[in-house]
Amino acid sequence: MKPAEPEYIAVSPAENKYVVRNPFSEDLKINGHKKDIKIFEDEDGFTFLEFKNKKYLAEITDKTQNKYTVLLNGVSYSFTIESPISYRRRKYLEKYKKANKLEVVTAPMPGKIVELLVEVGSQVKEGEAILILEAMKMQNEIIAQVSGKIKKINVKAGDSVTKDDVLMEIER
Amino acid sequence: MKIKSLLIANRGEIAVRINETAKKLGIKTYGIKTSKEPNALYLRLVDDVIDFSDSQEEIPEFLDIERIIEAARSNNVGAIHPGYGFLAENPYFARRCEEENIVFIGPSADAIYKMGNKTIAKQIAQKHKVPLLQGSQGNVKNPKEAADIASKIGYPVILKAASGGGGRGMRIVEKASHIEKMFKMASNEAEKAFNDPSLFIEKYVRNPRHIEFQIVGDRYGNYIHLGERECSIQRKHQKLIEESPSVALDENLRKEMGLAAIRIAKAVNYYSAGTVEFLLDADRNFFFMEMNTRIQVEHPVTEMVSGVDLIELQIKVANGEKLPLKQEDVKLSGWAIECRINAEDVQAGFSPNLGIIEKIAYPKGKNIRVDSGVTDYSVITPYFDSMVAKLIVHGETREKAIAGTSIALRKFWIRGIKTTIPFCQAVMNHKKFKKGDFNTSFIEKEMEQLYYHDEEDEMLAAYVAAFDFAAEIETDRSTKPDFERGKNISPWVLNKRLKSL
Repeated sequence: MKPAEPEYIAVSPAENKYVVRNPFSEDLKINGHKKDIKIFEDEDGFTFLEFKNKKYLAEITDKTQNKYTVLLNGVSYSFTIESPISYRRRKYLEKYKKANKLEVVTAPMPGKIVELLVEVGSQVKEGEAILILEAMKMQNEIIAQVSGKIKKINVKAGDSVTKDDVLMEIER
Repeated sequence: MKIKSLLIANRGEIAVRINETAKKLGIKTYGIKTSKEPNALYLRLVDDVIDFSDSQEEIPEFLDIERIIEAARSNNVGAIHPGYGFLAENPYFARRCEEENIVFIGPSADAIYKMGNKTIAKQIAQKHKVPLLQGSQGNVKNPKEAADIASKIGYPVILKAASGGGGRGMRIVEKASHIEKMFKMASNEAEKAFNDPSLFIEKYVRNPRHIEFQIVGDRYGNYIHLGERECSIQRKHQKLIEESPSVALDENLRKEMGLAAIRIAKAVNYYSAGTVEFLLDADRNFFFMEMNTRIQVEHPVTEMVSGVDLIELQIKVANGEKLPLKQEDVKLSGWAIECRINAEDVQAGFSPNLGIIEKIAYPKGKNIRVDSGVTDYSVITPYFDSMVAKLIVHGETREKAIAGTSIALRKFWIRGIKTTIPFCQAVMNHKKFKKGDFNTSFIEKEMEQLYYHDEEDEMLAAYVAAFDFAAEIETDRSTKPDFERGKNISPWVLNKRLKSL
């Protein structure tokens, strides 16, 4: 059996890097600095961190393999956890990945499509409204995040959608 | 008390709230069970449950006037409290109650009708010398007419649903080229939300404060006001944080606005609790907006500074009693702040965060009040409003109330869903909010970060993720990780802890 990795690297979507060494011991170090963080659970089953005399409510809300979403005091943080070796490999691969030309528009919340403001082939500008989504009785304009041409539309007026459903694809 | 039993035609925290006071007054309470929320908290607290869960109607349970009336009649219920939303401001429902000799806990059908119709309400305000914003005389028929009026009073203007409220069917129009599109959107939204597409138009005041006055009247022409509520922390016209009193008012202005609110109430022989909403501009001119003829979500801040139970007053007035206090008996003390705890993901544009509350625990303290409609294992469904609870904190001064709220928010623990707690915390820690320097554009213009976090929070979250990941690898290898800093811990205990993370 191989010994456990002594180091784990948590990388945020903004590429903030946290190198966590010795997570279970008093010799915990994050990015090379010694940290005194306690982790414990109360009788109600809430998990807390204690750090610098402050208490933080923590919950892992999502985890798929090495991808984590952690809720800390009600705020979500996402990370990919890597070992030093897998981290280097990922960096290497990313360099060679081609820039993605397709922008996917997803539903930001569950709701109903009220109206499509574009059709396939329409040219849109960044910031332009492309469809109207009704959620919790409010009509919300969904805005194009990039300028480009509408490549594909997956919904029509009257459709119900759930969060993260792919509504359209825009080609930059 | 003539009223012996009460049907609560509502759900959530307000059903819990009404139930509490009704029981205190010795009244038997009835709740309505729906198939959408069969295990809701309020159903466990009421004395008796009327089951609507077989409802196959298109019309939602809490809007089904005839069924509610029938339920009250067949159970011999003496009174109905509509709460807020749903049928609370439906004059036809109030009339049906009157016809069936059921006490409607609220004002007369006539008063609801007059104040609910924005055009009539404005005429009444004008007649009683309450300042108004320029706008259309009544509803506008089409985008063309709206454009004509708008060019006369000058942009920006605001389009509003004639039967509206809560920000629905409402659009601000900055220039003439937008008016047609905005008119259609607002009208469409109004039709869906209120079954009435009519709109009216008025001059839009940039960056006003939203100040409202709580009034209570009885059936004998007696009126009091219980001061103001400052509700300027709004997002898309939805209130998120309210407080009482407001830093924007001094004693003179408070008196003037309070009297104006009472003039409006008197004009429609209003009885029960009601709220008169005003806009206050930067020069402290106030303008009548509308009157809400019901109890409001934010009523607890008034209760905290006045010591008055507004639901109790509503019931007593409906019972035919005289107001137990006069204006000079109203003593307002200290400061109260309410945070709405909504099941919304602030980081995803306040989108509804549905799910199950696995565990909830509230902050405790003598200055802290929590009005909650949920408990452990409550389900947040897409069928109803996203508000799950309200946190209300009182302090001797505004500064103390803000500090108290900030501490209480840190002790408001929920597992399973995301809520607006980090948003409320961000407001409590905002320099301009602390100074009292804000208006209705605060969220949009002043808040760079819509949720509160400390510099080191991301690092701590990263530690949680790394800890869990490492522990999984360790348990896979059946070793004993040094969880307790030197003391060995059994894998079984560790496993249990990890599951609960």
